[in-house]
Amino acid sequence: MVGYLNLILRLSIWFLLTANFSWQNIIIGIIVAFLLPGLHKTPVVLKDWLRVFREILVAIPQAYMEAFQIILRPHEEEEITMERVKPQRTPTLIFLDIFLITFTPKTIVRKYHEDGWYEVHWVRRRKNQ
Amino acid sequence: MNVVLLAMILALLIPIYQALKDDNIWQKMLSLASVASKTSIMILVVSVLRDDWMVGVAGVIILSVGNAGFMLLAQILKRLNEV
Amino acid sequence: MIDLFSYVLIGLGLVFWFWGTSHLLRKRSVLFKLHSLSVSDTLGSMAIVVGLILVRPNEWPLLLLALICLAIWNTVLGYVLAYSSGSEGSHE
Repeated sequence: MVGYLNLILRLSIWFLLTANFSWQNIIIGIIVAFLLPGLHKTPVVLKDWLRVFREILVAIPQAYMEAFQIILRPHEEEEITMERVKPQRTPTLIFLDIFLITFTPKTIVRKYHEDGWYEVHWVRRRKNQ
Repeated sequence: MNVVLLAMILALLIPIYQALKDDNIWQKMLSLASVASKTSIMILVVSVLRDDWMVGVAGVIILSVGNAGFMLLAQILKRLNEV
Repeated sequence: MIDLFSYVLIGLGLVFWFWGTSHLLRKRSVLFKLHSLSVSDTLGSMAIVVGLILVRPNEWPLLLLALICLAIWNTVLGYVLAYSSGSEGSHE
């Protein structure tokens, strides 16, 4: 896993932006993707990534569900909880976790503590659950 | 589609009004961020409405550069408040 | 049929916009407003863009890029605003 995911991300942005599958365009895209700095050799566990992709797919319908819940039944109470970061996560995975938590409308990460805690802000229907 | 655009302009008036009214800086930032993302979606709707993809490309570029300026501004305001 | 579906999506997005933005007018904390803005500006706008893709299927690469960028940037902006505003601006 030599930063494959980073490479795939760059190439997909390139092809979505240009929408052109001629040979020249593919070659230019691949060259640019390799030349851009920041393609680190980080040890990536494929299993973690598969889990993250599945979570992203689950998160979108879940976000719309929560949106409907908030709209139909007003959530008026606010609450802050602390959540533990799962052990041995690379910075990219932590970023994705924060992204997924913030993406759903009922929860927002307020702060990420270096020693492994997220501070999550919730809206709820009533106090204490 | 014209009705959609009119409704969007109406929705856009709410954060503009709020940004002018509220004096707290973070409430202002929130309203202005809302204005920014709403206008860029409106650019996309206008481009579909007029079938003009030059306009659409401009909207997509605005969306992909995103609200980077707002993030920098938020960091600066945070630092200023700490001093 | 597809036309009808796209209008439903755009209408849904507009409903989300009005609902979420109306909370800006209330006297609540910045964080509470961020929750409703993430409904309107992220989810509502995503619904509108998906509706636009259905109206103009030829331009799907550009609109898909717009959709992805919209979701990522709005969410990250929400996090940055929540992080840097702290507990200020709470109107209390």
